Parts: sequence; structure tokens; C-alpha cells
Amino acid sequence: NSIVWSCVFQVSVINTVDTSHEDMIHDAQMDYYGTRLATCSSDRSVKIFDVKNGGQILVADLRGHEGPVWQVAWAHPMYGNILASCSYDRKVIIWKEENGTWDKMYEYTGHDSSVNSVCWGPYDFGLFLACGSSDGAISVLTCSGDGHWDIKKINNAHTIGCNAVSWAPAVVPGSLIEQPTGQKPNYIKRFVSGGCDNLVKLWKEEDGQWKEDQKLEAHSDWVRDVGWAPSIGLPTSTIASCSRDGRVFIWTCDDPAGNTWTAKLLHKFNDAVWHVSWSITGKILAVSGGDNKVTLWKESVDGQWACISDVNKGQGAVTSITDSQQNEQ
Amino acid sequence: MAARWSSENVVVEFRDAQVHSHYTCMHALRARRFLYVVNLETPSEAPRKISRQSKWDVGTVQWNPHKSQAHLFAASSNQRVDLYVWRDGSGEAHTSLQGHTRVISDLDWSWFEPEFLVTSSVDTYIYIWDTRDTRKPTVALSAVAGASQVKWNRRNHYCLASSHDGDVRIWDKRKPNTAVEYVAAHLSKIHGLDWHPDNEYILATSSQDNSVRFWDYRQPRKYLDILSCQVPVWKARYTPFSNGLVTVMVPQLRRENSLLLWSTLELNSPVHAFVGHDDVVLEFQWRPQKEGSKDCQLVTWSRDQTLRIWRVDPQLQKLCCANDIVDELMEGLTLTTETEKNLRSQDSEPPLMKKKFIPPPNLYGSSGVSGLPQTLQQEFSLVNLQIRNVNVEMDAVNRSCFVSADCGASRVRLVVKFPAHYPNNAAPSFQFVSPTNISSSMKTKIQKILTHTSLQKVKRNQNCLEPCVRQLVSCLESDGVMEDGTNPYVFTNPVTPALPAFPRVTNTYGSYQDSNIPFPRTSGARFCGTGSLVYFTRPITMHRTVPPTEPTPRSLSALSAYHSGVMTPMKMRTESQTTLRLYSGSPTRTDKDQVSISSFYYKERKSRRWKGKREGGDYSSRTIKLAGKVIIQEISCLLPVHKALGETYVLNVNDIQDTCQKNGAAALAVGRRDLAKVWALASAATNLDLSPDPDPDAGTPWAKHPFGRHLLETLLEHYSQMSDVQSLAMLCSVFRGHGSPQEYFTLYGHQQPRAAILAPHHSRYPSFTSSSVTSGSCSSTSDSASTAWTVVGRESEHAPPWGESSPDDYRYANQIYTDPREREKEQHDMNKRILDPSNCWQFDDFKKCYGEILHQWGMKDKRAEVLKFVSCPPEPHKGIEFGVYCCHCRSQARGTQCAVCKRFTFQCAICHVAVRGSSNFCLSCGHGGHTSHMMDWFRSQEVCPTGCGCHCLLQSTF
Repeated sequence: NSIVWSCVFQVSVINTVDTSHEDMIHDAQMDYYGTRLATCSSDRSVKIFDVKNGGQILVADLRGHEGPVWQVAWAHPMYGNILASCSYDRKVIIWKEENGTWDKMYEYTGHDSSVNSVCWGPYDFGLFLACGSSDGAISVLTCSGDGHWDIKKINNAHTIGCNAVSWAPAVVPGSLIEQPTGQKPNYIKRFVSGGCDNLVKLWKEEDGQWKEDQKLEAHSDWVRDVGWAPSIGLPTSTIASCSRDGRVFIWTCDDPAGNTWTAKLLHKFNDAVWHVSWSITGKILAVSGGDNKVTLWKESVDGQWACISDVNKGQGAVTSITDSQQNEQ
Repeated sequence: MAARWSSENVVVEFRDAQVHSHYTCMHALRARRFLYVVNLETPSEAPRKISRQSKWDVGTVQWNPHKSQAHLFAASSNQRVDLYVWRDGSGEAHTSLQGHTRVISDLDWSWFEPEFLVTSSVDTYIYIWDTRDTRKPTVALSAVAGASQVKWNRRNHYCLASSHDGDVRIWDKRKPNTAVEYVAAHLSKIHGLDWHPDNEYILATSSQDNSVRFWDYRQPRKYLDILSCQVPVWKARYTPFSNGLVTVMVPQLRRENSLLLWSTLELNSPVHAFVGHDDVVLEFQWRPQKEGSKDCQLVTWSRDQTLRIWRVDPQLQKLCCANDIVDELMEGLTLTTETEKNLRSQDSEPPLMKKKFIPPPNLYGSSGVSGLPQTLQQEFSLVNLQIRNVNVEMDAVNRSCFVSADCGASRVRLVVKFPAHYPNNAAPSFQFVSPTNISSSMKTKIQKILTHTSLQKVKRNQNCLEPCVRQLVSCLESDGVMEDGTNPYVFTNPVTPALPAFPRVTNTYGSYQDSNIPFPRTSGARFCGTGSLVYFTRPITMHRTVPPTEPTPRSLSALSAYHSGVMTPMKMRTESQTTLRLYSGSPTRTDKDQVSISSFYYKERKSRRWKGKREGGDYSSRTIKLAGKVIIQEISCLLPVHKALGETYVLNVNDIQDTCQKNGAAALAVGRRDLAKVWALASAATNLDLSPDPDPDAGTPWAKHPFGRHLLETLLEHYSQMSDVQSLAMLCSVFRGHGSPQEYFTLYGHQQPRAAILAPHHSRYPSFTSSSVTSGSCSSTSDSASTAWTVVGRESEHAPPWGESSPDDYRYANQIYTDPREREKEQHDMNKRILDPSNCWQFDDFKKCYGEILHQWGMKDKRAEVLKFVSCPPEPHKGIEFGVYCCHCRSQARGTQCAVCKRFTFQCAICHVAVRGSSNFCLSCGHGGHTSHMMDWFRSQEVCPTGCGCHCLLQSTF
């Protein structure tokens, strides 16, 4: 059952975790340090494995959801070991490890339909979480420190339903240049969401209220995932979005005000695309979808996107390797 | 039910055709070039075509509902209505009604006068035509706003209703000047309008605002009832039998391909779903009942180009009548063939679920957040106990309730007593009573869980009955599963568990809301940590049941279709038939394993070869694994940053040359020849020979040379494009220190006159270190180091709050230059820096990002080294600050000696010496002392060394 990567890079499988979930897995994510793996499944459970040094020790089997669990998200470790999970049962559960045992820290039941996505905001500004639900609303939960959570709900964020949320990085792009006052501009909390109205929407917080900032149209079917690329401090903001229409778009914005976004089609896949994920420095995007394949895409120095590897079940097919200059210079 | 239906319903497929309408046994389908007429008695026969010459599509088609005029039908096409005559299997347009100036939105034949036809148009007029005089309309109703729907009242000759955006107008055709009544029905556009078949005053409107509302137009302000759907409703029409309503959702946005049948008496959940169409249902109509037949027939036409005829038998019709009958039907369904018998036994004991209170939807989900029910009575009335196999009898007067739960063979009867203060930090008691038959260990376990759950809730003054009952059930269920690996009660009674779950609070797949919920991801990949890709895919044994050319469905509701396909006919006949009876293929399945996303994927039998290859015999006993493995892959070689370089890179501010050389060697060692060259360049550019002269007149500084700032910028741009934040941060750090080497070396021990100038800046140091607690980076830095970079980088951007501002700061901040030489010097200061000062925020971000990556690699020291070069220190610490108050006179003190009473402010509780330097104290009692003394003390003791009795270790963390 192993997947062969044929690739000029030395990409190697370092661990294969048998999760023993009783039903299909819907998400898997490692923590900040890459030492623990959280998985969630249709069997209503969330599992945490210690995967240090290639091991796989089941640390916790978290039960509490009453429906399939769609997604998990690790919070930054400066707040402790905290994991959020969202489920078909309309709940978001925030789990916390204390003294080696995992327990519910908070349970949010403010949505009227399945909660499809959870995403923690940049740690620099506190412990806060966005949740997107099929009731069309997006909730932003902020931990006020004493175990209490403030809730701000954006109703009707997406007609029919919201499928994905992703926070903008803490680094404010484009704001860095020519600030006459020399004052660093205040970070505005922003996130991107995708929904069943085929739209990608950008939201920002103004005076404590969430406002729709931009509406990006390009997809012709439900948007399944959005990913705001991490920033290393360059003036361009980048967002990836994918949809059931098989298309993956890369949205970029060079405008410091964040108003003009241009879309670039990464690729049109033959099946629905479910997930996009950025590498830590951006520039590499992992795309996965209904075809059960994972592809990695890399932006070359001249701004072109190319598939650098194709995980093809058991065949190890490679489409193309175009950009190997970085190691060869 | 799916099985029954496929044998009963009639499916006819028509390519090219688009929509239909019918009133008699004939059915007309429209297309641009032809109208197709289908004989519903012999639907499989080839449809007859009527060709037409028009560039416009046909809008609405309707047969004349009157027997005498049954050969006539009207079809709208843009601004015109054509009347067709159908005789002997062929039809022709015999006349057309022209009057509207814009496209016709709807038409409707009168129920009473066979000659009368009403048309509505976006041109704002509603015309009533007498087909005997087709030259002009007999009545024109002027509505100002364009109409989307128009419908004759079914009871009143003169009355008709039209919809205009969100409003409904009721007209009397005898008074054409103005509408009789206005109903501000919806906030969004009304898509559908339908009069009640029996009540003259009642109508139903369906709208974009996700609701169907029922109106008595005599009371236009308040709707009678509302049916909230999660999506816009395209059409809602009354059924010919009483109390029924059929809805179709808006087709453009979603693919909810089933029609839902509702009882108007019970709008909480649909009573039936007509599942079968693969695409949007475009139109549906009820066929007139045949004489002698109790069945009604629903004809539906979908974009999938099939026409389906659904038989709605009296049983289904009765579902719309009243709750009691629903219950009885459900009761009856468990005994498949004896339904009729059961129906008659009116006084049979009502099933459990009937007693249960279904909460209004708005209440669900609010619990636990706000608006909590406070009193026991309120809790009892609001509690949602739609939990299968559980019955709760609540007695608010005696403050107790009786919970009975049956889970397979285990039976639990529990008396819960609520104390008077409940739920304000007073937990209820739980007591098992007979005939509870679970083991005592299980009892203890449940007791423990319940106590824990209730305490958790009442601690926050929240109600706990519902969570407790849910805990109880999940505990019992997990126990049942553990015992024999299957859910024992699933097969014993497949019907009852599913039904209580069906209302909006359902937790199984199959709610009608599922069409909003995206189809689950079963594979995915995610970059995690710094250099890992975590991915999971479906197991190799699972294939999709549909050909790969078809895209994966959009929403979860699609599961229903595939679901029935997975089941074998045998299985269907024996156990599933009853379950699916009411929902006809809607996935209201009971067992979680059956109602799973995995049913979408075909499970291939394990091949012998594959089985043999597997190690570990434990899998062979299990049927088929549904969860694939999660694979973690090392992809750091794809990234521009290198962990090895992170470790070997050095940042020695005292010897930049050496730093560059070492880093160059490190880069070469990991094969980054490009970086080795860059470090060589950096070494050259930081050469002492190139260091700028402090005197502005001494010549252009090196930074202004093409190989100076320009070269560095080019390098940075290159690495920016590669996203190589490691190289960016390192280069920025190196050149930041290099900025003006003379000042630099001045500070690092080379005694030169300029040191004096910098002296005032030392005052900033304290404010900096105190604010850098969070990063932990600078606490160990020497005075001069932090000052050095503060000075070098920040003259021009200093904001006054930074420590005690020096005269220079003040002047620069306000951009006032008293002396032109001063200005020139400042200009020179800027020019001589190799890093462009205007981009310093960006350079800081590089360093912060790289710092974060180093942190993830676990290299905290390296991170601190890099962050030392950030010009803007982290945000001032806004958390807790400990102020020191003199322990003798209680006045606030700074330092070790109190300014007021001159005594030592803080004495160590162990050695009684004033504490200077590292200290620890208890947050509870305030005692403490030298860290080392405190550590020693609490290694063996628990209470405060002063003898105050405080359990410091428990109260606070040292």
C-alpha cells in the first residue's frame, strides 16, 4: 500500500501511520513541531499519535462528536497543546492536553448545520479560531484567557454554506514599504473563506466587526478549500482556492490596500478538488481531490506553476520535473 | 422503498426536450424547435412532436384543465402566448395572444371559465384573455411592478394572486384598477405561488429567502406558518389530497434532486422524499386522479431529461394528515405486510417517539452559549432528548426525572433528582433502579461519568440533563460495541432508531440539509511542521461505484443514490426495505457503518494475493478496512530552507568577515554552491576597507556604489522570488550589523571618539529588555550589542515613546533641521548603509519568519540570535507585570530599597536578606525569596516557609 514517489528530489516516506479508524479518514494534520499527528474520521473520533522518530503511539482517542469529524486544527504551542475539531454534528470541540491527558476545553454549538472547516488565527494576536458551517455562517471564537470564549458570528457569509476558512498570515504584506511615520501599521485580522455560492470571500475586522472585504469570482462550482499562503515578508499576498469544478486558482494581490486580486489558473483537474495546502515558505502547493491523488506544484522564479511530483497510486508516475535549479545553483 | 419505486414509477427519457406541463393525460414537453406531447397512459411510446418556428424558447405550457377544452393548450414564448389545438395525435398553433410588451413570466387557465386565461409579464401588466376574442385582453391589471407568478384562486371565480419580487397581490378581476390586498410576504424574490385547493383565502409562497410561507390574505401582516428550508425554494405546491405540500429547491445553485413531501400540519420534517432524478427537477404537476383510483400521481420532469411518474398511494397521502397516523404508520412499518391491519388499530399503544418534544429549531444550538434555560421547568420544556432508545419522564414539581434507556440487551433505569439550587453549582444525583440489568462495574463507570458530566456543567451554572443522558447512551453503546464488535440492537429494530433522529436535530446522514454539506474529503495532503507532507488516501481496495469520468458528487445528499446501489437485492428485501420505506432511498439508515461515506465507494473483495502479502493476521478477520494509512513524507529537500544550515549558520556580530566565511563553508557543505558564492560576496562587501567615512565630505559611501546596496538588493530580490527566507534573513542580519562599521566597532571595544556620541542611547536598554520577554531573545545580550543595532537602524524612525528620548531623537522625529549640516549628516547616515533603511520593516519580517522556522526546528538559541537583529522589538509586553510593594510601609517601591521607609522591600523568606536578582514568590500569599532558596525549600516542603500556612505549591506555580 505504499506510494512511490519517483522524483529527482530525495523525498522519502518517514512514517506510515495505521490509524485504526473504523471508517474513512477526513483529515490529518501534524502539530507545530511535527511530532504529533491528529486524524479525524467518519467513525466520529479524533485520534492523536506521537510520531516522533518514526514511531506511532496512540496518545489519545478523543470521543465527543456525534457525527463524522471533518477537520482538525492545531493551535500554536505557545497556548499549550490545543486541538480543534469540527463535525457533521454541528459542533466544534476544542481539546486541550493537561497533565498528559486530553480533555474537552470548550464545545461550541452555535451552528445550525455541519461545521466543515476550522482554522486557528496567527498566534501573535491571541488564541482565536474561525469555523465555517453549512448553515452559511462563519464564527470567530476568541479565547479571552480565563477559559471564556467570545463569539462573533457572520451570518449568511456564503449562501447555502461555507466550506473552508483560512487566516491571513500575521505579516502584513505591502505595508512595509514607505511608511512615512515609521510606525508599523496595525495588523488587521483577515481571513478568506470559500463556499457553495462558488465564491471566495475575504473578510476583515474593523472596529471589532467582521466585514466582507472582497469577493473573488472565478469558480463555477462549490469552492471546497481555500488557503492563504504563508508570508515571508514580501509585498504580495497569495491565496489558493479549489473547487468541485476541478479548477485550482492562485489569487495574488500586490496592492497594499488589498483591493485588486488577480486569478491565475493553476490547473484544471478531471475530478473535484478538495484540498490545497501551502508549504511553510509558500511557493509549493499540495493539491488533492476526488481522484485520490496528491500532486505538488511549485512556482518557479519566473512565476510559472509546474507539477513537480505526482503521487499516483502504486504506479509512481511522474509528470514533470521542471524546477530543480534551486539545489543546483 | 427504492425497490418498490423503481418498479412503480415510470421513467421516460427525452433528449433535447426541456420542460413540461400537463393537465390531462397528455403531457407537453417543450423545446426550442419542437413541442413534445407525451401520452401518459403510454409513456414509453415515442412522443409526438409539434414543430414551431420561433427563435424564442417556450416559457410556460399549460393544458386547459376543463374537459370540454381539454384539447387546447397554451404556450408562452417571449411576449406572445400561442394557443395550440391537439387533435388526433397532432397539434397546431391556431391563434396567438399578443399584448405584452415584454417576456411573459407565467400563465394560468381559469378553474371555472374554460375560455379564460391569465398571463403575467415583466412589463408590469397582468392580462386576462378570453380565448374567444384573441385580439386584446379583456381585463388588464396594472401592477407597476413586474410579476413573476400569477395564479387563479381555486375557489373564487374572480380572485387571482400575483407575485412581484417579495410581494403578493390579490386581485379581483372585476376591480382591475387596484389590487384587493397586498401581502409583503418575503424579503427576497418569490419563486412560486400556489392557492390552497380547498380554502379560498389561503395560499403558499416559496421564496429565495429559504422559506415557504403560508398566508391567509385576510391577515396580510402575519403568515400562518413557515417552513424554513436551508436553501431557496423554487416551487411549493399543495397536493390534491389534503394537508400535503411538495417542494422543489432552487435548481441553479444546488443539486437537490429530490422533491420533498411535507405535511402542512407538521413542518418540522418532510414526510417523504421522491428520490430518483439525477439532476434538477424543473417542473412537477399533479395528475388528476383517475376515477376509482385512490392513488395520486405526481409527474416530474428534470434536467436529466427524464420524465418520472410517481405513484402516491393512500398510505403516503395519509402521512400528511396527522402525526398520529405517522406514528402508527411507522409502527406498522416494522411489520411490513401488515401495514393495513396496524393502521386500523387506532387504540394501539403509541410508540415512544410521539411523546417526545421536538424543539423549535432556533433553540437548538443556542444551549451552552447564551439564553440558557435556568429553572428546572424551563430546562424540561426545552431539553432535546431525541435520543434513540431513550425515554425520559420529567417531573418538575418533584424535581426529578426518570430515564429509561435500552441498549441491546442492557437496560438502564435511572432516577435523577435535582437539588433546589440546581443548576447553580448543585449537581443532581443519579440512582439506578430496577429493572436495570447492567453489571455493577458498568454501573460504577456510568455513575462516575454522569457525576463528572453534571459537575462540569453545574460548575458553570448550566443545565446538565441532556448532556448526561447523551453520555449515558454513548457509554452504553460503546459498551455494547465492545462486547461483540457489532452494534447489537441495530439489526433488531432498524426503524425506530432512525426516525426520532430525522427531525432537524438529526445526527445521521440523511437530513434534507445534507444537500448543503459538501461531499466529504476522503483523501488529502497537508504540509505540516517545517518539512513534512502528511497525506492520506482511500485504501487501495476501495473504488468508486461510479465511473471515474463522472466527477465526485458535490454534496452529501448524493450518498443516498449510491447508497442503495451498494446493497445487494437480498439485503434489501430482508432488512432494508422497511427502513427505507418512508424515505425511499434517502439515507436514513440506522447503523453508522452503513450510513457512511464509505458506501459511496465500492469495496472490492480482498484478493488472495493481497491478503497473503499482509502481515499481521488481525486484519484478515476484519472485513474490509475503511481507513487508509496516513503517510508522513519528508519533503524538506523541496524547500528553499535547510535545517542543516539553520544549525551551522553563525551570526557573530563581532566578526562579520569570519561569519561570512563560516557561513559560506556551511552552505557549500549542504551543496548550496550559490549560497557559498553569496557569502563570499557578503564577505567582500563587509570588508573593513569599504566601511564608510563618518564625514559626509569624504566621498560617496560604498553603499551607493553599484556593488553596494544595489548588489545586495538584487540578491535579496532573487532569494525573495525563491522564497528562501533563510538566506534573506541571514543576509539582512549580517548587513544590518555592518551598516556603519565604524560605529559598530566603536561599540565593540575599538575605542574611538564616536563612542561618546552614543552614550545617551544606553538609556533605551532597560525598556528594550523588559519588552523582549516573550521572545526571550535579548535578555542575555550585552548592553552594547542591543544598543548597537538600535542606534544603527533607527535614527530616522524613532517614535518618542521609546525610552527617554534623546535630544537627537526628538529632532529627527519632528524632521526639524536647525543646521543644514545636521541634515547632510543624517542623509549621509542613510546613504552609507548597505541595507536600504526604507525597507527595514520587510527585513524584520524576514527575520521573524526565519525565527519562527528555527523555532519549529527546535533551535531556540539560533532563533534568538536572528531576532537580535530585528530593528523593531516585539510588541511591548501587555500581560501581567509584578509591581513590588514595600513589605513594611506598603508603598510602591522600585529596586531593593523602599524610597519611603528606606527598608529593604523584599526579603527572602529563607535567608532574610533583601532579594536582588532572580526571585520567586507565591501569587497567593506573596511570600518568596531567592529562586535557589525557594527551589530547595519546596523540594521537600509544601507549605510556605514563613509559616503563614499557605500551600504555595498548590496555589501557584513556582
